[in-house]
Amino acid sequence: MMQLIRPLFVIGILLSADASYAAETTAVTAPVDFARTILPLLSEKCFVCHGPDAKDKDALRLDAFATATSDRGGYRAINPDAPAESEILVRIQSADNPMPPQDAEKQLTAEERELIKRWVLQGGAYSKHWAFVPPRRLAPDANKPAKQTTTIDDYVRATLRARKADLAPVADPATLARRVSLVLTGLPPEPAQLAAFLNSKDSDAYEQLVDELLDSPRYGEHQARYWLDAVRYGDTHGLHLDNRRGIYPYRDWVVTALNGNLPLNEFIVWQLAGDLLPNPTLEQRVATGFVRMNPSTAEGGAIPAEFQAKNNFDRTETLGTVFLGMSLTCARCHTHKYDPIPQNEYYRLLAFFNSTAEHSMDGNKYEYGPVVKAPANVAAWQAWNQLEGERKLLIGDAGKKIDDLDGANETFLAQWKQASSADRLAIVADPKGIFAQLDEHQRAIALVEKIETAEKSFTITLVAEDLAKPRTTQVLTRGEYNLPTGDPLAPGILTVMGAFPQDAPRNRLGLARWLTARNHPLVTRVLINQIWQRTFGDGLVRTPEDFGLQGQQPTHPRLLDWLAVELHESGWNLKHILRLMVTSETFRQSSAWRDDIDDPENRLIARGPSYRLDAEVIRDIGLWASGLLAPEMGGEGVKPYQPKGLWSALMHPASNTKLYVPDKDRKAFRRSLYIYWKRTSPHPMMTLFDAPSREASCVKRSRTNTSLQSLGLFNETQRVEMARALAARLLEQRTNDTERIDLLFTLLASRKPSDHERAACSDLLSSLKTRYAANEQDARALLSIGNVSPDVKVKITDLAAWSQLTITVLASDVAILLY
Amino acid sequence: MNDQVSAFREHELNLTRRQLFGRGALGLGTAAMANLLSRDVRATGSNPASGLHHQAKAKRIIYLFMSGGPSHHDLWDYKPKMQEMFGQPLPDHIRDGQRITGMTARQKTLPICPSKYKFTKHENNDRGVWVSELLPHTATVAKELCVVHSTFTEAINHDPAITYIQTGSQIPGRPSLGAWLSYGLGSMNENLPGYVVMHAKTSFAEQSLFGRLWGTGFLSSNHQGILLRSQGDPVLYLSNPVGVTRDDRRAQLKALAILNQQQHKRFADPEVLARIKQHEMAYRMQASVPELMDLSQETDKTFELYGEAAREPGTFAACCLNARRLAERGVRNIQIFHRGWDAHGNLPKEHESQCKDVDQACAGLIKDLKQRGMLDETLVVWGGEFGRTSYCQGGLQKQNYGRDHHPRCFTVWLAGGGIKAGITYGQTDDYAYNIADAEGNPLKPQPNKEHWTPGTMHIHDLNATILHLAGIDHKRLTYRYQGRDFRLTDVHGHLIRDLLA
Repeated sequence: MMQLIRPLFVIGILLSADASYAAETTAVTAPVDFARTILPLLSEKCFVCHGPDAKDKDALRLDAFATATSDRGGYRAINPDAPAESEILVRIQSADNPMPPQDAEKQLTAEERELIKRWVLQGGAYSKHWAFVPPRRLAPDANKPAKQTTTIDDYVRATLRARKADLAPVADPATLARRVSLVLTGLPPEPAQLAAFLNSKDSDAYEQLVDELLDSPRYGEHQARYWLDAVRYGDTHGLHLDNRRGIYPYRDWVVTALNGNLPLNEFIVWQLAGDLLPNPTLEQRVATGFVRMNPSTAEGGAIPAEFQAKNNFDRTETLGTVFLGMSLTCARCHTHKYDPIPQNEYYRLLAFFNSTAEHSMDGNKYEYGPVVKAPANVAAWQAWNQLEGERKLLIGDAGKKIDDLDGANETFLAQWKQASSADRLAIVADPKGIFAQLDEHQRAIALVEKIETAEKSFTITLVAEDLAKPRTTQVLTRGEYNLPTGDPLAPGILTVMGAFPQDAPRNRLGLARWLTARNHPLVTRVLINQIWQRTFGDGLVRTPEDFGLQGQQPTHPRLLDWLAVELHESGWNLKHILRLMVTSETFRQSSAWRDDIDDPENRLIARGPSYRLDAEVIRDIGLWASGLLAPEMGGEGVKPYQPKGLWSALMHPASNTKLYVPDKDRKAFRRSLYIYWKRTSPHPMMTLFDAPSREASCVKRSRTNTSLQSLGLFNETQRVEMARALAARLLEQRTNDTERIDLLFTLLASRKPSDHERAACSDLLSSLKTRYAANEQDARALLSIGNVSPDVKVKITDLAAWSQLTITVLASDVAILLY
Repeated sequence: MNDQVSAFREHELNLTRRQLFGRGALGLGTAAMANLLSRDVRATGSNPASGLHHQAKAKRIIYLFMSGGPSHHDLWDYKPKMQEMFGQPLPDHIRDGQRITGMTARQKTLPICPSKYKFTKHENNDRGVWVSELLPHTATVAKELCVVHSTFTEAINHDPAITYIQTGSQIPGRPSLGAWLSYGLGSMNENLPGYVVMHAKTSFAEQSLFGRLWGTGFLSSNHQGILLRSQGDPVLYLSNPVGVTRDDRRAQLKALAILNQQQHKRFADPEVLARIKQHEMAYRMQASVPELMDLSQETDKTFELYGEAAREPGTFAACCLNARRLAERGVRNIQIFHRGWDAHGNLPKEHESQCKDVDQACAGLIKDLKQRGMLDETLVVWGGEFGRTSYCQGGLQKQNYGRDHHPRCFTVWLAGGGIKAGITYGQTDDYAYNIADAEGNPLKPQPNKEHWTPGTMHIHDLNATILHLAGIDHKRLTYRYQGRDFRLTDVHGHLIRDLLA
């Protein structure tokens, strides 16, 4: 069927995106899919001159149907009425006067010319870029709506079927238990939990395990980490002196919110605009720390207006990366070359952030700009949320009785209506107030006391607030802060992604409503892609930071869209989505590479996920296996061992982060999520394994494989210490070496060792035992490393030997990979 | 040709040929394999010294970074006329709209501050070069140096300026020059890191350095600079824990290899094999780095060249000697950061100390490279993130003064691999405030990054020229991130051919 001719960026729902979902065909008559084939091609090869940012006003623009088909003085680049007469066909084939010109960096291939030709001859229809069209649920292999019963596996199988292949067999249960536990919580399954799962006769034993893991407090910690990378969370300001910053209650709020499965739309709204909600709760205000996460400076010579602009750029562009999966950076200086984002829309978007109340320079202060006091760790957050719940209940109870009370006159009712929940509680608790005779009054007094006690341990955290009088926003020529031009701009959104919701306020709250609206084409897709990526190792869109015209197409477009709609319709339920993903057969496949499928990047998802674990997980596994892991959640960033002098070698003498003072207590053994994040010099064991600096948003870490990592795994103080504690555990909890090696593998691989593995471990162990028996001095020296003196009930030479076996297995791919 | 390297290709580059062939056995299609192989050859080079786009003039680079902004007035840019203008306000037409930092913006006057130091003209291969008495040793290698008086930037504060010159952007998040070089050229020595960074001791540890200056931004993090330290392990975590010998580690690695091979047997993931190789390389590095750091075989003559300070670990002189030793061992990319050049007040005291730290060692490095026949293929770069003002910050005295940050002109010198030796390039006006024409008149309009003006060197031009000498076309070394083909020089940068030998 010939596609209808539709102007680009005008019509919403289109056919083309659908058509492309069908298996590729090379038949000359098959309709060429504009959105997925031609548009990326035009973007890559033509838009530099003929795109949204065409320099010459009269230049031909190929990014829109109307301009591409307009009369250019007797000819048309694309002539839908007489396709064969389209000038574009002449020019792309011309030897004398070719397009792209001979000196252009990017030339068309013969294949691409042929594609363009076919598309033009078929009528040259335009349609929107797929990512700008709201997602719909379509069946895996037909242009019909998906059925109720459609699953993730149906979509993955549909692609495989075209290649006459199927999913790989399900991984063995032990491997699967380890995999799902690491994916959801960042830690392997507890031995007891593992045994219960493996021994269970229940048909839904796996689903039960998944639910247990989703309910674990470790779940929120692990999932939060990805978000903290995206929002560039750090404990320091990030620029110049890189001083301390009060913000960790935000991090703890993220953990708490994810553990509580706060719907993701609220998760977004609170972070962007919690302060603008009516009578915002403390949580909602603290969540706006997101808006304050940009690196900041107070360098002596810095010019405030310059940093006002830079802070705005940073926030606007981070919004683009995190929620829109798009770089907006181009539009800072000029209309985007590829994506339909005019420069003035960039500045209208920026205007949402231009009126936040803090000064553009941080004064090197811990309490920079508006702050609130908030719970100082995760347990305190949970306790606080409980109190908030009680308060809400009590106010509700009191409110129901209000009409029957003396003194509830109009003035009072108006006052009550306006009051925040804290004020209402105070009113109920007022001994001279109208509630004084009610039960609720006594309850209120008790609650006020509990709240006051809780508040005593609160700590400072940066939040967003808007100025009463907004700052003026104008386009900045070439992005230069001192070259504003044109009329003042009202805050506004990127129109290619749908309209601003009617009746929403023109502030950050309206922006958040726009992002979370049903028809926003990008946000749910981008979130789903991030979730998929952390579950499967790679996204459905392999460029999670770019869903624009220059980004990669999804490997499974319909699956992405189906899940995006599912996210929305499930009430933005993250745990539901994760449950869908990890219980799919796709996830449960064996991750062994297959001889029958040539797919090194696993774009077909014909095998289970396998990748090297992240820095934090590698460290946490060691602490956990050794029993050293301190379970306390949240609080000020912790400082495990770090080689001396790393900070002082870099830092200005006036910086208050020039000295690293390692924690000597259990804090050194907290989960890596809580490691103090100095943005100009993060912990080396984190950066060694690809953790980003958090100076800029990161939605995809690199996964490198270097010799320096080997050195860290074997020699770093905490590794040595955790290996020793693990060795002591094995020696104490098991009575012979066979059982000890079994336990070691059960902890790290969720299974017993193979004969080869056992032999390798035994051989190493016996040679080390002999060696340390001959030199007890060495054993003592080795065991003296770190702060925790081992309570040695065993022969120290054995402990030394075991510790060097455990550090080896901890460093092996058995332990540091997901598979 | 587009040298775009995708994230996946990046990943593939980490795989050695052996693994690629291993992959072939796993059933990887021949086309895909040929593709991988050709990528491998192109980006890491069958002869990695040969450059990516053209023959490299410089096989290696030693970048001596003077963090804080050395005063061109007091070191390199001789302005005798300023002596007569002591204390007079800087004329408006000279300032010509230049924004000034928040530190002197509210100062009542901007009094002209001539240098207190004596300058001498030293013979080079051209018209000679003036050097101040603060750099007597450097002056002795004037015939090797290409002294550029017309370097400029836009940034006027440290953090943005240093981030700009090292990453091409004032806002954090981009890969550093060193990371780009590593990404484009790979490593020449399997037993040492390809990109090494040292922090030299200083008496004035002012201004901060940041991991981003040798970081990788959106490039894969294996391209980051590796710190070579004078305190503790020279490379982080290099030494075995006490009580663990080299034989112990050998035994551990043997067991580890069996475990990993078993893992490979089970999952056939080629990365697993690559990791075995990395563990082996780490083991070799544990021998090669101590060998590198062991100066006992260096002769007294060498220490005479670099100065006795070179015997003390962590000094700038020791870093320079290490740099030469690294260069000898095939490390391509070496950077030394020396802090303390930010002389807002007490400039004489601070700069005298700073120059004492670096002067002899810089000259020693050049001479040493030269006598070993390495200078021709080693590019040495010396400079900071900006210059300093012609006017005094704070109280002005003949013998004591301070200078604020100045972006419009500053001096950088280059030497060695592919650089025209013994020349000066560009000049400034009588105030060393603006880049000037041959007659000394400030260029109108002010030079800018959008269009190159002959005789000037924007920091993007400097970086373009460095990349060129390393065999890289700065316009073609790109990485696609967020839909855009990023490069070190953004959309700017101009190769300055006048500097090339």
